[in-house]
This record gives sequence, C-alpha cells and structure tokens, in this order.
Amino acid sequence: MAAIFASRCSRVGRSLFGGLSNSSPGLFTTLHEMTCKNMFSQQQRTFIQMRTVLKVVDNSGAKKVMCIQALKGKKGARLGDTIIASVKEAHPNGKVKKGKVVYGVVVRAAMQKGRCDGSEVKFDDNAVVLVDKQGQPIGTRVFGPVPHELRQKKHVKILTLAGHIA
Amino acid sequence: MLGVIGAGTWLRYSKALLQPWKVGFSSLSAVDGRKHHLLDLQEIETVLTDVKADNVKVIPVPKHCDWADFMVLATGRSTWHVKNIAQALIYKAKQKQRGVERMMLPSVEGQAGGKWIVIDSGKVIVHALDEKARAYYNLEGLWTPGTIQNEREEDLQKALVKVRRKNNSKKPAQKNA
Repeated sequence: MAAIFASRCSRVGRSLFGGLSNSSPGLFTTLHEMTCKNMFSQQQRTFIQMRTVLKVVDNSGAKKVMCIQALKGKKGARLGDTIIASVKEAHPNGKVKKGKVVYGVVVRAAMQKGRCDGSEVKFDDNAVVLVDKQGQPIGTRVFGPVPHELRQKKHVKILTLAGHIA
Repeated sequence: MLGVIGAGTWLRYSKALLQPWKVGFSSLSAVDGRKHHLLDLQEIETVLTDVKADNVKVIPVPKHCDWADFMVLATGRSTWHVKNIAQALIYKAKQKQRGVERMMLPSVEGQAGGKWIVIDSGKVIVHALDEKARAYYNLEGLWTPGTIQNEREEDLQKALVKVRRKNNSKKPAQKNA
C-alpha cells in the first residue's frame, strides 16, 4: 500500500533517460512510448492561485477552502507555502465556520516539486492544513500523507501532527 | 497489460539507479563533518533540568518514520518560560560550537507566539509547549504506540487563552521521565 503510493507519487527526472537509452535500445523504445503517453495524457499542473479550491486534511472542521491570496510567490503557491483562504464547506460544530478567512499551509500539491536527489514529488490533490496567524495548527491531527519538504519550510509542527510522512 | 509490465520494469530500473545517488549523497554529507549532532539527548535533558521544565518526556520515534530519532516534549509554566526553554537550548548549541568558523544552529519555529516552540536539531526534535497547548494537541497520544486516539472537540482559542497556571509554586512538578 505505502510502497505503491510512494512509487506512484515520486517520479524520476529527465536526466535518467539518457543513461537508460545508452544501455539498452529495446528498452529505449518502450520508455520512449511511455514518455509520449505520459506527456500526452497528463494535464500540466499549475500553481495554487486565487479561486483554487483546496481540500482541508485536518480535524479543524473545514472541508474545502478557496484560496484568495498566496503569500509567497507572484504566480501562486506551491508545496509548503502559506495561503490565505476562505472556508467554503465546513462541518457542523467545527472549529471554523463557513465564510471565515483563514491561513493555510499547502501540504499536498498537484504541481510537482523537485527533490535534492533529482526525483519529483507530486500528488493527486491539493490539500491544506489550517493554521492561525502565528503559524500554529488549528486542528490537532493531520490526515493522509505529508511530504517531509515541510521541514525545510519550517513547518515541523504540521509534520509532528501528521500520521504518515511521505 | 504490456504497458503495465513496462511500467514495472521502468520503476525497477529507476529505483536501482536512484540507489547510488543516495549512497553518494550520504557519503558526501558524512565527509561534511556533521558527525557531531547539534544537540545530544543527554545535553538536552541537562538543559531542560537546569531551566526547570515540567513533565519532560522523551519519545523514541518508530522506525518507519525517517525524519527524526527522538522527540522530546517539555512543558513550560508560562509563555515566557517556554521562550526561555528555547533560548537555553539555542545557547547550549552556541556554546558547544564555540570557535567553529561557521556556526550551525538548530532551526526554531514558533518563537514569536511562545505557545508551542519547536527546536529542530537534526535527529532530536524538542517541543516546548504551554500547559494548555500540550493538553490541546496531545502529542503523546499521537506518538506513543498503542494508545487509543480519542479526539476532543476543544476550541483552539479557548484552549490557548491565558488562565492561571496549574503549577503555581516555584517547586518543580513531579517528573515522569
């Protein structure tokens, strides 16, 4: 289960194809077809910008938030960045209400992020953990996989509350 | 079907090719002189005893989690006590690396608020929390294996409001560690 997910979410960079093509010509045709299929089938992922709807993966009571501003970049937010969002769907009796403006940290992003060993990490959804203005998480638990790039972004609190580190 | 077999072959080759890079990177970081950690576990316990932190608990992180080896939880009696715990740990790291031409300090998160401060020194993560914040987030219940996770619907704003602290005397509380 975890191995399948780990192999699915991390992809090898482009520089590895050169070595593989030199080693085996038969394998190169298969890899070439696979590369073309991947390039044609998958949609190009963009930044998290205004009006992006994200899923909330903590137990703060919110289900979906809509991004109204990305705090770091001009083009938008990526994995590990902080956004300002408004709550679009909320559980009853939750800690946040519908319509409230909250801060959030992007813990899963569909746009890929490169790691230091050349691989990339990208997820199937855009997920966020709600924090307050000082950076403390509003909920007490974080569900689903959380990548360890948040440690470099100084979000160790969210990594502490997460049950599964990818 | 043929595509699935090709995908399996590709993933196997990719994992095999990723392995030398990982070995090279780890050896490069070993040459870097990082064999001394920023803060050892005994030094952290000594500093926490000196600064009179309450309810110090050392939790060994299970093996499937690669990002830390130990997690130390400490309770401060007030917001300024939590800040002083963090300052004492940073000062200990500075004293340990006196004379080094380029000092490497642990990363500190949450020092402005003072409710929950995380000192990330490589393989040991120190969490200094207020009493109310520690009861709210319940990190022992999450990281200790085998406990039943019963989540309470407590509000963050009500939990972190300034109330009279439980341990009001100057004497330290009973240590569980």
